[in-house]
Amino acid sequence: MPLRVKKATCTGCKLCQLACSGWHERCFNPEKARINVEHDYNEKGIHIGIHFCNQCNKCIDTCPENAISSNGKWILVDRNLCIGCKTCSKTCPLDAVRYDSEGKSVICDLCEGEPQCIDWCPKEVIYFREKKTQAGRETT
Amino acid sequence: MNSFIGKMLNVDLTSGKIETVSIPTEWAEKYTGQKGLGTRILMEDLDPKTDPLSPQNKIVMTSSIMAGTIVSCSAKLAIATKSPQTGTITDGSIGGHAGAELKYAGYDAICISGKAEELSYLYLDPDKAEIRSAAELKGVGTFETEIRIKEMAGDPQVKVLANGPAGENQVLFSCISTERYRQLGRGGIGAVMGSKNLKAVAIRGWLDVHVPDMKECLKVAKELHAADKIDDAEYEIYTDGTPILVDFSQESGLLPTDNFQEGTFEGFEKINSASMKEVRAAKKACFSCAIACGNYLKGSKSDVEGPEYETIALCGSSIRNDSRDRIIEINSICDDVGLDTISAGAVIAYMMEMTEKGLHDFGIRFGETEKAVEMVRKIAFKEGVGAEGAMGTKKLADKYGGAEFAMHVKGMEIPGYDPRGSWAMGLAYVSAPRGGCHMSAYPIEAEAWGDLDPYTYEGKADLVVGLQNSQFAKFSMGVCDFWPVASDNLAKLYSVTYGGKWTAEEVDIIGERIFNLQRIFNIMAGFDGGDDKLPGRFHQENLKSGPPKDISMPEEAFMKSMQEYYRLRGWDDKGKPTLEKLKALGVEDRFVQQYETYLATS
Repeated sequence: MPLRVKKATCTGCKLCQLACSGWHERCFNPEKARINVEHDYNEKGIHIGIHFCNQCNKCIDTCPENAISSNGKWILVDRNLCIGCKTCSKTCPLDAVRYDSEGKSVICDLCEGEPQCIDWCPKEVIYFREKKTQAGRETT
Repeated sequence: MNSFIGKMLNVDLTSGKIETVSIPTEWAEKYTGQKGLGTRILMEDLDPKTDPLSPQNKIVMTSSIMAGTIVSCSAKLAIATKSPQTGTITDGSIGGHAGAELKYAGYDAICISGKAEELSYLYLDPDKAEIRSAAELKGVGTFETEIRIKEMAGDPQVKVLANGPAGENQVLFSCISTERYRQLGRGGIGAVMGSKNLKAVAIRGWLDVHVPDMKECLKVAKELHAADKIDDAEYEIYTDGTPILVDFSQESGLLPTDNFQEGTFEGFEKINSASMKEVRAAKKACFSCAIACGNYLKGSKSDVEGPEYETIALCGSSIRNDSRDRIIEINSICDDVGLDTISAGAVIAYMMEMTEKGLHDFGIRFGETEKAVEMVRKIAFKEGVGAEGAMGTKKLADKYGGAEFAMHVKGMEIPGYDPRGSWAMGLAYVSAPRGGCHMSAYPIEAEAWGDLDPYTYEGKADLVVGLQNSQFAKFSMGVCDFWPVASDNLAKLYSVTYGGKWTAEEVDIIGERIFNLQRIFNIMAGFDGGDDKLPGRFHQENLKSGPPKDISMPEEAFMKSMQEYYRLRGWDDKGKPTLEKLKALGVEDRFVQQYETYLATS
């Protein structure tokens, strides 16, 4: 099941990023999260941007090294195959790919099925949505 | 790096020398972060007699142990300095991301002294710290300053603490801004930055913050967020934010109206939370905050994140302004030019009353809200009569009279709660180290909005002492006021972020220690119990409407209650902490000796 967001209700607290880095990296650092929230004032008012993996799988299709795959539930990156060419991030429509200290791709793995961002989001901005069924309907 | 890094950036703007120094672990354990750490650093080598606007004064910016972690509402940045408005120690905190960013940059604190030759800004990140020219930003508002500093630094992720023209012009109640609408409002921090030719501080960080046991930290933080229901969709600070207090204050008859001549305001429904929500475009949270108190409003002329209750009270009802749009406009201008909305509204209300009473013609009367908008700008730029307003209420009253309705304590204008409707607030106002302030204790919640009789002093000194101790601990450990976290839970949060096993008793003693340290700073700056007084109006004039109708606060009983307060604090009858008390609290010997010498020679 991919993640979805209700952008308008996001308050920009970034607890999702802290939960993500805490769970994955065992440290608090929003820059190391697999989700990234922008919530700033600009000339028109508030700009909200939430960069997250919605499992469109474009990175899988375009990775020249076949380092990215899916187990049917979430994305997997094989660090042994990744050469840090950044093709995946150039392809990603939501700018959701990050890099580790060795320049290798880091992509949301839904915390292996229990996304901490959903658990920690205080305003229920992030949620699961089931992929379209064969009948073309979406179910939440 | 750990949640307590043990590093401070020392910046001397006169010589341009920048160095990183160690912060002893003992300071983290005795004073923790933010308010407490800032107070401790300031006490280290600042003479309490220092002229606040001289290069010798210091600006101490502090993060907290919990900042940068997942603990909610913990990312505020505190600033301590000697206040040019009051002559006391002052400290406050600013929301947004700055406190966490300082931690991610690798520092617990920044201590700035001296005076730069030209208008400058301080840039720091984990790799470098530099004083850079900001000459091109002279007179520029905080909104544009923030944008331009980000451009100059070449990084939109930089967090900027920006000073406005009011601060450059050393208006005594000038504030600083970050992320447009987050301010450190009180005490004249902007004027101190202005006196140092410091236009802004720009912080960028990307380092990891570690806690002793990540799994335990995540578990405890999650449990306590849920236990205190801070992320509850019905929590009023989220659904409404502080404007909800307009209705509460009106109902309790303590909404400052016409410079505290009345406690109810006819037009309150035009400026209450229901009215503000009609033009609300979005909610906004500070970094790591599960609550999200911020209301982004689009008024007819201006946008603002706000107005907070205090702004509505002082720039609304207290100047007889029932226009939502006008309040938004004043708020937005104050944020941009860098003026504390509480003091700005209060000084304008004083000028209005002086004019109406024929004591001095400041050319502005109650209800003249368009003139109030102009006055705010004139104060910021010290133009014409604005140069008078820039002095603040106390100095104006010293010059022109009307002291009984110059609504300040120790020179800091009183916020949005008439203490005649909640008597313990009066005790809190006079005993708060930084002057007329509602942040040291908020007994109104237990009195006017709770079960206690609001019109008696009985038991109130005890109430205020307890609240102040726990507030001082909370604001040092780093949690925002809007999380009503009890000391035992604060101890749990501290244990999982700093380490060890802390107790509620230890937390409260930390608060009491810091409160006493600030008190002896003020004593050594020349204050004593004689300065712990309210404006005469609260003692001499009855309110005319609402529940406290025909009520004022009897002065003799108030003084008696303050004696009770001093006794409970372990202070003498002049409000001076005893040496025994300081020692019992574990205040360092060198400060006790410094204080003892002062008492012997003064």
